[in-house]
Amino acid sequence: MPALSYIAVSFLVVPLAVVVLLNLFPKKSADRIALYFAYFGAAAQIASSAAGFFLLGAANTHEYDFSLFWNIAKAGSERFEVTSLSLVILFCIGFVSFVSVLVANETVKTKKGAFVSLLMTLMLGMNGMVIVTDLFSLYVFLEIVGISSFVLIAMFKTEEGLEGAFKYLVMSSLASIFILTGLAFLFMQTGSLQYSELGMNALSMGTRSEGILVYVAFVLMIAGFAIKTGAVPFHSWLPDAHQSANTAVSVLLSGIVIKVAGIYGLIVLTKLFPQSAAIKMTLALIGVISIIAGALFALRQNHFKRIVAYSSVSQMGYILLGISTGSVLGLLGAVIHIFNHATMKCTLFSNAAALHEQTGTLDINEMGGLQAKMPLTGFSSLSAFLSAAGIPPFAGFWSKLLIIMALWTGGSKVFAAIALFSSILTAAYFLRLQKKVFFGKPSEKFKDLKEIKGSVGFAQILLTAVTVGTGLAFPLVLLYLKSRGIL
Amino acid sequence: MGVFGFENILLLVGFLSILAGCYCLIRTFHILKIAIGIEVAMKAVTLFLALAGYVNGKIDLTQTFIITSIVIEVVVTVVSAGIAINLYHKYGSMDIRNLRKLKG
Amino acid sequence: MEVIVYISLGLMLVFAVMAVMLHSITKSAIALAAASVALGIVLYELGSVWAALFEISVCSGLVTVVMISAVSLSHERKTELQKVYNDKKRMSFLPVILIVGGLVLAGVAIWSKFTLPGAGETAAGSSFREILWNQRQADIWGQMIVIVAGSAAVSIMFKERD
Repeated sequence: MPALSYIAVSFLVVPLAVVVLLNLFPKKSADRIALYFAYFGAAAQIASSAAGFFLLGAANTHEYDFSLFWNIAKAGSERFEVTSLSLVILFCIGFVSFVSVLVANETVKTKKGAFVSLLMTLMLGMNGMVIVTDLFSLYVFLEIVGISSFVLIAMFKTEEGLEGAFKYLVMSSLASIFILTGLAFLFMQTGSLQYSELGMNALSMGTRSEGILVYVAFVLMIAGFAIKTGAVPFHSWLPDAHQSANTAVSVLLSGIVIKVAGIYGLIVLTKLFPQSAAIKMTLALIGVISIIAGALFALRQNHFKRIVAYSSVSQMGYILLGISTGSVLGLLGAVIHIFNHATMKCTLFSNAAALHEQTGTLDINEMGGLQAKMPLTGFSSLSAFLSAAGIPPFAGFWSKLLIIMALWTGGSKVFAAIALFSSILTAAYFLRLQKKVFFGKPSEKFKDLKEIKGSVGFAQILLTAVTVGTGLAFPLVLLYLKSRGIL
Repeated sequence: MGVFGFENILLLVGFLSILAGCYCLIRTFHILKIAIGIEVAMKAVTLFLALAGYVNGKIDLTQTFIITSIVIEVVVTVVSAGIAINLYHKYGSMDIRNLRKLKG
Repeated sequence: MEVIVYISLGLMLVFAVMAVMLHSITKSAIALAAASVALGIVLYELGSVWAALFEISVCSGLVTVVMISAVSLSHERKTELQKVYNDKKRMSFLPVILIVGGLVLAGVAIWSKFTLPGAGETAAGSSFREILWNQRQADIWGQMIVIVAGSAAVSIMFKERD
């Protein structure tokens, strides 16, 4: 159907067109109109992914192959493919990019043209990752995402930004080396890296040496993707990179990059090799350790963005637990949690931008009692906190419920219990954050503080509305999925 | 094609190169040396890919993999050199022990 | 044929260890280029002709140029280097670690009677050119976008403004 083919091709063509068009303008005028181009690009992605999801449902299929200017029918050639899962992730990518541009309106003051070019390249890389059907192409687009993120963190040339970008570069290169070595070993065994051929190729663990090769490949690939996700014990780059970047870039990093780069790779692995119990157990273990360790680290921090970064580590553990069950329910819970967590993190980082703009500091020991002066920021932060802790009717309750149910029925009951009780830890560090920043007595120097206006305020209102709205409307979503036959 | 065969020695040299590269990454104090360590490890990965193609019979497909990964490797090296030069302008030296602003 | 490969592998390992252990970045870059040439010879003998060409021209040429230009843009004095970084002494364990690691891996391989799978013969059919341009189009798009991102990075990071 032609509409779907236009939508599918637009995921790659629109960001590329924005980059090319933006760089045709001379420098000064490019800086003025750059953000409008970015708004257009992100909004176009949101609209086309939503339309694509419903069109795909109407056509009663689950996937759609397409290509970009080449002949797809030749044997053995690559193809791009959109499935329902990838359309949901594409929607998240567009949504987080839109919020990032809203925040960038306030925090990015110079080099706007360069920021938008790199943002579009990042979107291209992430879009590419979810629509390819070959493991090596996945690696290529993963590197595009990596290169764009390094430059986005380092481009404002602050000392902290350069240091964070450098640490991220070292760990990310290590992850790339692991993933590529794992791919080489897998290729030695199977002879092809396309999804269709890997799925059909029954990995015979017949002779012992072949088994060793494939297991080493799995270990390396899981380690590589776990480094990219920021799961414990490979998380050491995450707080530094997310704290030192410009807040608009932190929104992108915590909101979508760690998920698409790391979690989506692990989703692909579990989908390609569903009969391997070792992968699932490893993912579940990493997930549980991440939840607990991330929460414990977050309790001891004093910098607002650092607490939020450690909270990302902790929530990634929940998503890993959801994937590790291998069932449809678990995968659904994980994907919904990807969306909810993106909303949460965008809210929290918008609050960080608002606080930094108005008070000039991000040290929570210096703030206090800001609830009266900045009610919008306080309320949106409260809604993000309740959603993360899993309290109804906020959206986080539903996704956590799905993950815990999937663990209880399909996976291990012990992990389900641990996931349930670690909500207390999540609530603990968020409560500490709320108390220190917003409640209590306001200090003298914040006498003339005003609430933030403009695009960051709008972003906060939008995100709170999405959080509450998703939570209230979620039963309808479940009914719709049941009618489509997914659940 | 026994245990001491041709391919196993290639595999061994590849693993040793990765070990050398990662050791360099961990122990050095100089920023550009870290980029050199990453380069040494990527050479080992190229060797692994070529070995996979030789063993499998699909040499042409492997060559496309190697060429693409070399392009990516060059761009990553250029970006890391850019960050290194900017760090030098900020701190006056290339020592990574100077980078202690982000703690905890 | 095998003798050439073994000699080149040994040279590559020696040059790589030298690149890690030397303390002057210029000499390290030259050692890395020599290791690239050795690796190119190995690739050629394994049958990957185009990959050998790319490796020798790009890795030993371009990367060396990048490293040496980065060093020349930072003007560090040589005498200070030896006192501060002391790379030769810090990394003096490396040959020992490599020999120990090599023995451990060889032991594991012998214990498990490890051999690699494989057909060993070239699959007839498409040539390299056809595979690259007709079958791996997504990789070509990926490479173009990488180069776009890289050029954006260069234009931002290497600017000498205030």
